[in-house]
Amino acid sequence: MKNEENLAYFLNEAKTIKTRGLEKKLRVAFLASFSINGLEETMRVKCFQKGIECITYVADYNQYNQEILNHDSELYQFRPDITFLILDTRHILGEYFFSWHTVPHDEKPKFVEDKINEIKKLYNTFEKNLESKLVITSLQIPSYSSYGISKQQEIRGLKEIVSEINNKLFNHCSELHTNHQIFIYDFNEFISKFGEKNIFNYKQFFSGDIKISTEYIPKFVNELMGYVYAISGITKKCIILDLDNTLWGGIVGEDGFDNIKLGDNPVGRSFVEFQKRLLALNQRGIILAINSKNNLEDAIEVIQKHPNMILREDNFACMKINWDDKVVNLQKISEELNIGLDSMVFFDDDPINQEYVRESLPEVLVIDLPKDSSQYAPILTEMKEFDVLKITEEDTKRSGMYLGQKKRKELENKVSDFNEFLKQMNIEINIQKANSFSIPRISQLTLKTNQFNLTTRRYQEDEVSKFALSDDKIIECVKVSDKFGDNGITGTYIIEKKDNEEWIIDTFLLSCRIMGRGVEEIMMNQILEKAKSSGIKRIKGEFIPTAKNKPAANFYEQLGFKKENEFWVFNTDDTIKKPDHIKVIKND
Amino acid sequence: MTEKLYQIISKVFNIDSSKINDETNSENLEEWDSFNFYVLLDEIENEFNMKFDLDETLEIKKIGDIKKIFVKHGVIPE
Repeated sequence: MKNEENLAYFLNEAKTIKTRGLEKKLRVAFLASFSINGLEETMRVKCFQKGIECITYVADYNQYNQEILNHDSELYQFRPDITFLILDTRHILGEYFFSWHTVPHDEKPKFVEDKINEIKKLYNTFEKNLESKLVITSLQIPSYSSYGISKQQEIRGLKEIVSEINNKLFNHCSELHTNHQIFIYDFNEFISKFGEKNIFNYKQFFSGDIKISTEYIPKFVNELMGYVYAISGITKKCIILDLDNTLWGGIVGEDGFDNIKLGDNPVGRSFVEFQKRLLALNQRGIILAINSKNNLEDAIEVIQKHPNMILREDNFACMKINWDDKVVNLQKISEELNIGLDSMVFFDDDPINQEYVRESLPEVLVIDLPKDSSQYAPILTEMKEFDVLKITEEDTKRSGMYLGQKKRKELENKVSDFNEFLKQMNIEINIQKANSFSIPRISQLTLKTNQFNLTTRRYQEDEVSKFALSDDKIIECVKVSDKFGDNGITGTYIIEKKDNEEWIIDTFLLSCRIMGRGVEEIMMNQILEKAKSSGIKRIKGEFIPTAKNKPAANFYEQLGFKKENEFWVFNTDDTIKKPDHIKVIKND
Repeated sequence: MTEKLYQIISKVFNIDSSKINDETNSENLEEWDSFNFYVLLDEIENEFNMKFDLDETLEIKKIGDIKKIFVKHGVIPE
């Protein structure tokens, strides 16, 4: 086992890591019905490796009920961002774990109902009183029955009732999911991936009530990291792919179209499988791009015409197929797609390229792709870096949007005058108040938008919901479309109505895909006009500089705001400028 | 064999192997706690391709005890 994967490594690292000065912080609480030593240490180290300072609270062994039900508990004082409640079947079922077959059939439904209610009571209380996300692990389905091969004779056997409890929890939480606070982690997914005999070590269980063996704790934490990435807003958005020996076997320029390995032979199958996994990610919103040294004609021929190619031209938002430097290509892709390098994952079979990109662009996540192509698909499916708390409609449409983007670029290159280009785009924007459909997306925008973001305030969904209900706030979002397609909700602003004279811009952002086409001006224009018609005298906004939001630095000034101390102020008696190439539709 | 054992101990407890001898125990070695002891046993089992009995794990009070068990299991000669 590699050093970086074993628990001894994490336990020792946890003592020495220096998290001071890290910008991102995350407060994580662990509640469990068994001994979970090693979990918080591993998570702190894994977070540190991703640039997050993870501050943890581990509740006393088996105190989760009191911690949640008692509002003065340390859990409440700790104020976590995310809480993991790790339950286990033995504990929940007690003696029945061994003797379920002795329970009379007519008593079984009530037992199941009671157990579900116990857990429901916990998360209902949690939801009402804590802001934190809550992740509950589902119950492990027992692999043993004393009935052996005759277990079908059992009515509502142990496995069935555990599944029943799990399913009811899943269903109930998906109903609750409108607020995205409570999540069920499918523990059986973890078990089926690594095996019960590995994860449950009887010796450790008898000695220390350890129910996830020390060897598998790092792997379990890995499973939970998806939530950490999602909640910290460090999810990856884009996969950059090499071609030869990455998307297909062999080198097309040397082996030729007919001899590359892609399709029905052992090596060919591994590339097809990898491509199918990539396609599935692409369909749910992960952007794909090519960065490859090839003759363009050779590569394009394969992408367009090879019968076993899964990914086609339309799946790639950007294709850099040339003999240029890979790092330069990556930077160009980042610029063209307006996706930060830190949102990119780089897949390339050549270790020299991997090292080169790792050295030159440390923000890019470079995958340690081995020579063995059979490992490509599993490496991809093991990754948690693409996890988001919720896949929004925008996510699933994103590939299409980038295709539109590619066509927009083509038009921009064709039309020499930029204003003429904007006119030809037929941009339409639709401004609406935040509602239950748009709230998840608005939160996602605040978490993920870095460039055109005046204040970079990050808001979770529940916070956005609260703003939407408040009379002191205006929170609206902007849908942008043009003749190449619908870009979905790409901008949002939050205004605080300070008093009858003054409004303050709390948040103002626009997805970088849309930036620079006048949409940001129109958005501000809407705010200013709305303020004026409401009799407001002054609009105040601040620009909070970050490493990434330079593109927005001069925005207030361009719109006619005047600097007053740390604020930018617009007097509503002044002329309000308005770009005329955009059609605005308002749905109040 | 002793050298390999000490390497594992030094890795798990994150200490220099020169600090380890047969008399090393949880009393005189600060880095040895009840939890990383499980980690240590697990590492030893994997590295030496052997399994401790539950009894044996409870008998281990100092590093020398591990060696005794090794002898019993034929991991090191008597």
